[in-house]
Amino acid sequence: MDILASFGNGLLVVLQPNNLMYCFIGVFLGTFIGVLPGIGSMAAIAMILPITFYLEPTSALVMIAGVYYGAEYGGSTSSILMNVPGTPAASITAIDGYPLAKKGRAGVALFSTATASFGGGMIGMIVIAVLSPSLAKLALSFGPADYFAVILLGLIAASAVSNGGALKGIAMVVAGLMLGTIGIDLTTGDLRFTMGIPELRDGVHIVIVAMGLFGVTELIASIRASSGGKSTQTIDYNDFYPSREEWRSLIGPILRGGSIGSFIGALPGTGQTIAAAIAYAVEKRVSPLRDKFGTGVVPGVAVPEAANNSATQTAFIPTLTLGVPGSPPMAIVIGALMIYGITPGPRLLVEQPDMFWGLVASFLVGNIMLLILNVPLIGMWVRLLKIPYKYMYPTIIVLICMGVYSLNNNVFDIWLTLVIGAVGYVMRLFRFEPAPLLLGFVLGPMMEEQLRRTMLLSRGDPMVFLERPISATLLALTAGIIVFALYSTGRNRRNARAVEEKTQQEGTPS
Amino acid sequence: MATEDKNPAGPEANEADGHGALGWGGEIGGLILIGLSIIFMIGGWQLGLGIPTRLGTGAFPFMTGAILAVLAVVICVGERRGDGIAERPDWLACGAICAALAVFALSTDRIGLVPGTFLTVIVASLPDKSLSFAGKAILGAAVAVACWGLFIEMLNLPFKPFVGF
Repeated sequence: MDILASFGNGLLVVLQPNNLMYCFIGVFLGTFIGVLPGIGSMAAIAMILPITFYLEPTSALVMIAGVYYGAEYGGSTSSILMNVPGTPAASITAIDGYPLAKKGRAGVALFSTATASFGGGMIGMIVIAVLSPSLAKLALSFGPADYFAVILLGLIAASAVSNGGALKGIAMVVAGLMLGTIGIDLTTGDLRFTMGIPELRDGVHIVIVAMGLFGVTELIASIRASSGGKSTQTIDYNDFYPSREEWRSLIGPILRGGSIGSFIGALPGTGQTIAAAIAYAVEKRVSPLRDKFGTGVVPGVAVPEAANNSATQTAFIPTLTLGVPGSPPMAIVIGALMIYGITPGPRLLVEQPDMFWGLVASFLVGNIMLLILNVPLIGMWVRLLKIPYKYMYPTIIVLICMGVYSLNNNVFDIWLTLVIGAVGYVMRLFRFEPAPLLLGFVLGPMMEEQLRRTMLLSRGDPMVFLERPISATLLALTAGIIVFALYSTGRNRRNARAVEEKTQQEGTPS
Repeated sequence: MATEDKNPAGPEANEADGHGALGWGGEIGGLILIGLSIIFMIGGWQLGLGIPTRLGTGAFPFMTGAILAVLAVVICVGERRGDGIAERPDWLACGAICAALAVFALSTDRIGLVPGTFLTVIVASLPDKSLSFAGKAILGAAVAVACWGLFIEMLNLPFKPFVGF
């Protein structure tokens, strides 16, 4: 009953005209940016973030959340129509979505995506409403050592599943932790690594890091990937709705995908891509249509979309109750909350109930908007994808410049974005993913503070981390993830090498 | 650095899998991290490490620098066995986008938002050969006017449309 009453209050918050408007703007802009090939939810949130600094924190959070799940939804459009995923998670949707479009059933694929996203989003919303208060209560008993351990677990969990391998992911997290130390040390007041540049006294702004690593880097990478690629699909509204059998075949995948996605999304550091991939793999085993997966079946589109969207919602659980990002974009949310003067963590539910429950209720409103908006607007997104990318990207770079410049009205921030973007692109070429770096950058100051507190309270005894049951358990989990990730990386490399050698042997004429 | 042609399938195959496109292997990424870790370790040491009870200003940067140094060395060793680069680099796009950012940074305060945006769009669109210079100029003018209308007239952001004209 408490949950229902709190949810009702949240609904009143989000139904206020201004919050409703920002929810709509967020969902619309998120979908718009997500539809563009190669520009993911990270870049979308980074580009919107400067605008939100002018808003009330609740409105800002509602809008950022709208951008997040709007972009994740929009990413599926270009993956279905062009086989170019708008977001990484949408690459799973493309496996069945693009073959469906090639069969002339793009409308059915997009409609199923919208329905599955809505279903997944609702499952995610229920999970966040039920689980968050209990998790927040548990987290109230956390000491600094436990917090340090939970942050470490989140960072390692996020980096260990990095595409470039666990080692590179962890290295990027550490590089992010180091980047987070630039500026004034809040404990001692000393300046660190500012190189005498006054603009660095307050550290590097999260928008600059996010714009550089995701806006600039993704833009550079997407120019060639998207050149010449434009949608040739047309949508026939007569063949838009799934058949009765297809409707029936959607329910199971949506429920399964939504459940798997909400579980994986709630784990610190994981993301929608993993959720969508696991849900697809499970569905491929249990579905009656499992033999047809990959050839263009409706459940193959529905399951990753439901998982993706439910994981997007439940990623807010660790973010808001523990202060540990549930997914890389959540790192930006934590950074944004801190700029608004709000510390994410177990006290947020007690101190900012309107904000928390307003956000949860906005998932309902936003997902309804997403559904209502996107069924009639599918034609518009299709037309958007017909615009050549050569007209798009110069405009996006101007928007990035405007967003960064408007932070402090200072061109130094643009130079810094340039440097971070260029370095990010070079690192990307060598499979160093930027998302773990951003996580480390956001959580670094928190981690350092908790480490200092722990050492002070334990009188310099590091064994305290192993003596407290919560931190010991979390550290054991962290160690387990590291060992597993390194083993998996090694095994994948060995397998890849074996395949390469076999191919070479077969290719060598006898 | 691995400059030799590692792939027996030839230089074209190398380019496709990313090894030969640059002429060097992936250890360069590890070397960048080693450089970064050394800077933070030295900086952290100079700032003061403190004592275990009261960690100094430099303790956290020093610790993270040391961890990164170890990881970077392991990465460099691993890369020598040849993971190569993930994708063929697009230096033209990289140069154009970086130059566009630089043009915006150099021009906005000096000549104003409208001409600054116009130049930024032209520089950013340079890698695209399919768009004529006139097309780039029209695109630049359209984006500049749109930015003027949206950011200055509608949102009242403190940009100056023109400076020194």
